[in-house]
Amino acid sequence: MFQQLPYNVAVIDREYNIVEANRSFTEYFGNWHNKKCYEVYKKLEEPCNDCPAIEVLKDKKSVVFDSIGIDQHGKKTHYVAQVFPLKTGRGSKINYFMEMTNTVTEKDHWQQECQILFDRVPCYISVIGEDFRIVRANEAFRENFGDVIGQFCYKVYKRKKTKCRNCPAEKTFKDGKAHHSIQQGIDVKGQKIHYAVSTSALIRGGDSVAHVIEISDDITELRKLENEVIEAERLAAVGQTVAGLAHSIKNILMGLEGGKYIVSLGLKKNNKEMINQGWEMLERNFDKTTSLVKDFLSFSKGRLPKQEMIDPVDLVLEIVDLYKDIAAQSGIKLKSKIGKNVKPAQLDHDGIHTCLTNLVSNAIDACLMGDHKGTEVLISVSEGRDKLIFEVSDNGSGIDYEIKKKIFTTFFTTKGGQGTGLGLLTTRKIVKEHGGNIKVISHKGEGARFIMEFSRKRLSSLYKQSKE
Amino acid sequence: MPKKKILIIDDEPDVITYLTAVLEANGYDSFAVSEIKNAMDKVKEIRPDLICLDIVMPGETGISFYSKLRQEKGFDSIPVIIISGMVEREKFDFHSYVSDDSISKPDCYIEKPINVDYFIEKVKELTSKKILTKR
Repeated sequence: MFQQLPYNVAVIDREYNIVEANRSFTEYFGNWHNKKCYEVYKKLEEPCNDCPAIEVLKDKKSVVFDSIGIDQHGKKTHYVAQVFPLKTGRGSKINYFMEMTNTVTEKDHWQQECQILFDRVPCYISVIGEDFRIVRANEAFRENFGDVIGQFCYKVYKRKKTKCRNCPAEKTFKDGKAHHSIQQGIDVKGQKIHYAVSTSALIRGGDSVAHVIEISDDITELRKLENEVIEAERLAAVGQTVAGLAHSIKNILMGLEGGKYIVSLGLKKNNKEMINQGWEMLERNFDKTTSLVKDFLSFSKGRLPKQEMIDPVDLVLEIVDLYKDIAAQSGIKLKSKIGKNVKPAQLDHDGIHTCLTNLVSNAIDACLMGDHKGTEVLISVSEGRDKLIFEVSDNGSGIDYEIKKKIFTTFFTTKGGQGTGLGLLTTRKIVKEHGGNIKVISHKGEGARFIMEFSRKRLSSLYKQSKE
Repeated sequence: MPKKKILIIDDEPDVITYLTAVLEANGYDSFAVSEIKNAMDKVKEIRPDLICLDIVMPGETGISFYSKLRQEKGFDSIPVIIISGMVEREKFDFHSYVSDDSISKPDCYIEKPINVDYFIEKVKELTSKKILTKR
């Protein structure tokens, strides 16, 4: 029976000596008597570097491998082989190996190579037909999604009964181009997975797309890490917000306690002036509480801007009107500059009004903090390339680098007890809700320019979205 | 016996009014500056027996002013009470703000809003101390 086997079979000892071989082996590799396996298989003088017998000795299990040898006529040949451990007698010592080889043609060899590559690529690969049934899938795909051949891709990936919206494979079938998207699916164990999918057309002769090849990379772990980072940042922001809020509240409480103390001292001394002074302190700090709560609510509200078509010039003039007396009392010139052809835009009137009042009030404070005379604040509005631009500039105290890094990102104030640290955070939030950008250009002692830019295209698409 | 002079440095007018009322009701002479840039001149002008100092102020922090004061010859031994809402009393760690270990810690930290009795107790304690050696 050993002699009749349709494969080349040889028995090899631990010293690489071939001790037995069947007829098929002898016909293929020639005389093997008193020869080492590497001499017969590969016509080498020393053992092969990647000898599979070493693996077998290590794991005591059979090993499958493919290799290139030389037949008895000196012709190079590809073969697939399997080496089994053979135990003789008692104990677990392996004394012999049995090697079964099957020669393959060049074409077979490359087909096998392709299959191995297809299977071993560390991402999910599937080939999808026009009916969205999976016709081929690699090993990673099968391990993760189960036995899938012949099933609908949407059923396999997402356990859905109908095609997915924005299916990248469908787009590739239509235009023959590559498409990419991020998707969420369910694996064979029922776990949610995130994957980045790319599709490409398989065209075999002719122009039409016969199949689509879909390659997906599992990004579940990456998403998890991203979420952890977002959560850590969120908690840090919550911590900073709470600390900032606590500081503002303590300052207000100090004012209230002070008012109470002075009222009671005035009552004790029957001093009307003192009672009035304490009462005013109480009133002022109650107002501060109201305004802190309002600011905080406005900052914490996650909402879409209530966009309407408004004239940005009117908005700028409103702010000038609102602040001209306050600025004049402090000896600051408040000016406006209107650019050419400023057109109406889809803005949230109250939101942008809040932004401009925050910026102008900061600019006035910066002028008061500066040392030089002749301070002024300028509010301007202009059109850029497809952009509406508001700018509030001053020649006040300016902002140094360390402070610039913090002003839009943390609950931060340079105004001591007078500021809540919410103004610029709220401003940035409103600008972002409009799809815009805010930046500051400033150096310590040289004034500051706060620039808000709104893309008209973005404003228009946000407006359409809000109406849908 | 002349009244002890206390200097309040705080940007918040209500805090100044409050501390002034408390100190004067307890027999102290109080002075105040709301802008920290004027604080050192005021210290030199009145030579206070104690300073009540806020931390978060526009322009320069109270901590930075304190560090400068401690390096100013002739004024480096004036007792200082830091009064702030920044951190809780037990969590206030001066050397987390100032890395120079040669600058001694402030004499006292009181959290806003103040407890009047505790504040006066500390003021009394720090103004009656005889400072025999320089810091």
